[in-house]
Amino acid sequence: MQEEELQRAEKKSAYELFFDIPLGPQHPALKEPAFFKFKVEGERVIGVDADVSYNHRGIEKALEYRNYIQNIYLIERICGICNVAHTLCYAQAIEQLHGKEIPPRASYIRLMIEELARIHSHALWLGVAAHEIGFDTLFMYVWRDREVVMDIIEMLTGNRVTTAINTIGGVRRDISDEAKEKVRKGMNILEERVKYYRKVALNDPTVNARCSGVGILRPRDAIRLCAVGPTLRASGVKNDVRLDDPYTFHDEVPLNVITCDTMDVLGRVVVRVDEMLESVNMVRYCLDHMPSGDVKIKLPLSPPVGEAVSRVEAPRGELIHYARSNGTKNPERYKVRTPTFENIPSVADMLTSKGDHDVNIADIPIVLASIDPCFSCTARMEFRDVSKGKTWIWSLEELKTHCKNRG
Amino acid sequence: MDENKVAEALKNKFGEKILKIMIPKKGEEIAKDLVIPEIMEIKVSKRRVFVAVPAEVYKEVIRYLVEELGFNHVQAITGLDTSKFIEVMPHLGRGITVTVKTRIERDKPVLSTITDMVPGASLHEREIHDLLGVVFEGHPNLDRIIVPEGWPENVYPLRKEYAPEQPKPLREVS
Repeated sequence: MQEEELQRAEKKSAYELFFDIPLGPQHPALKEPAFFKFKVEGERVIGVDADVSYNHRGIEKALEYRNYIQNIYLIERICGICNVAHTLCYAQAIEQLHGKEIPPRASYIRLMIEELARIHSHALWLGVAAHEIGFDTLFMYVWRDREVVMDIIEMLTGNRVTTAINTIGGVRRDISDEAKEKVRKGMNILEERVKYYRKVALNDPTVNARCSGVGILRPRDAIRLCAVGPTLRASGVKNDVRLDDPYTFHDEVPLNVITCDTMDVLGRVVVRVDEMLESVNMVRYCLDHMPSGDVKIKLPLSPPVGEAVSRVEAPRGELIHYARSNGTKNPERYKVRTPTFENIPSVADMLTSKGDHDVNIADIPIVLASIDPCFSCTARMEFRDVSKGKTWIWSLEELKTHCKNRG
Repeated sequence: MDENKVAEALKNKFGEKILKIMIPKKGEEIAKDLVIPEIMEIKVSKRRVFVAVPAEVYKEVIRYLVEELGFNHVQAITGLDTSKFIEVMPHLGRGITVTVKTRIERDKPVLSTITDMVPGASLHEREIHDLLGVVFEGHPNLDRIIVPEGWPENVYPLRKEYAPEQPKPLREVS
């Protein structure tokens, strides 16, 4: 917030002082450690500064020192939850450099695993969001049902979380007919449960009271600030990489892009829950229409000289990788831009009170969680009263108690 | 609007000012004797346009793309050190990806900002400033965000001369 603007606001305000509240770098509502400094007038948040550098591990530089096969495993570890999206994006970029297309069966398996990962990511998020608003029963239920999809992923890929299924030139495991049957059964259970959660999200008074009208992001601002993924779609903008820039077989598999025009946290809940249902349908389509054939082609270790831009719709939004090869076994440059990084300006906008929509301190955790940033667990929060030079620390539990009492 | 129309519109508008426009097509081999040698062959990607421009018209081209052709989404900005030049490449658009490639001197890395047109580009430009030392003229706030506090001045980790510390054995094996 500009200094003059602030002074003007201060004159108008009934409060004598504005306070700065630092949140982070370590906080459970944030996936990568990030730091937000809130300027508050009483309970109202009127300005926010963000700093997102705390988890920078130098992966882009490290990629230049490893060969293309080693890089698959490094790329996979950028993010645990989105690992499928990252390896998919990487494999696509390297295949573009090679100028080769992978067998159709491999594409279908990739798409299916990607959608299963989306279900698991959205289910994880729904549980977390429920926890943030103090609705722990929903959190427990959602995470119980998330085990269904985790078991399916484990059965298909060999791992629960870090799947290691995508590789350059295809996928590493085929799907058997028995496995297909098990996936179908799992999808039936999930569909029923997700429909129930949809009902809860739309009708439950707790969810409504905490999410409706909170964290407003107007469509014009969302586009201006380059929001991506469910954050953008919940502001009523129909945009999805799977639709606009189809990769794997997204131009063949039917896709219904979910949007919601409420622009608030409730909209983001509804979009994600509906996307889970959409993903269930896409997995079923893949099972029914999967062609036979190979699942992998063999490609040389070093791609020819060239460059490629690869895009994937990760669970959190558009993910983009840029690769440049110089003909050797190590890439010349590899650039990764994750969806959370792109959504930081939008979440700063959501957290600023504007017009009739106030953002209270109690809304901060759920609004931050609503863009689905990932998690980091050491939890504490520092409150500073500038006028008295007094500083005190709230533990996460104290903060949550405060939030719940307010909410 | 498909990628050919984008290329045509750019050609009509800027003509000779643009060094090279490339739409990667399947099976197409592109000669390497280009004005910018770093634009090289790409074979399979669809919906991709690569435009090489000199730094003087960089902002004009972006303005045309953002305001006239509706490429108002900055997907990312890639910064790259070729050990002779620094390349800055914004990737624009939501459907088709237009990559505008420009290069600047390594000793004097100055480029005009695009945050006045797309506020969402702010963090990307700060990232490049931090890791490659490019100064974006007119950017409202170029504080360092990526490197830790206390990082030395004029050390930019993504430049080629910066070699990361290699892992050492925990103890010497005799």
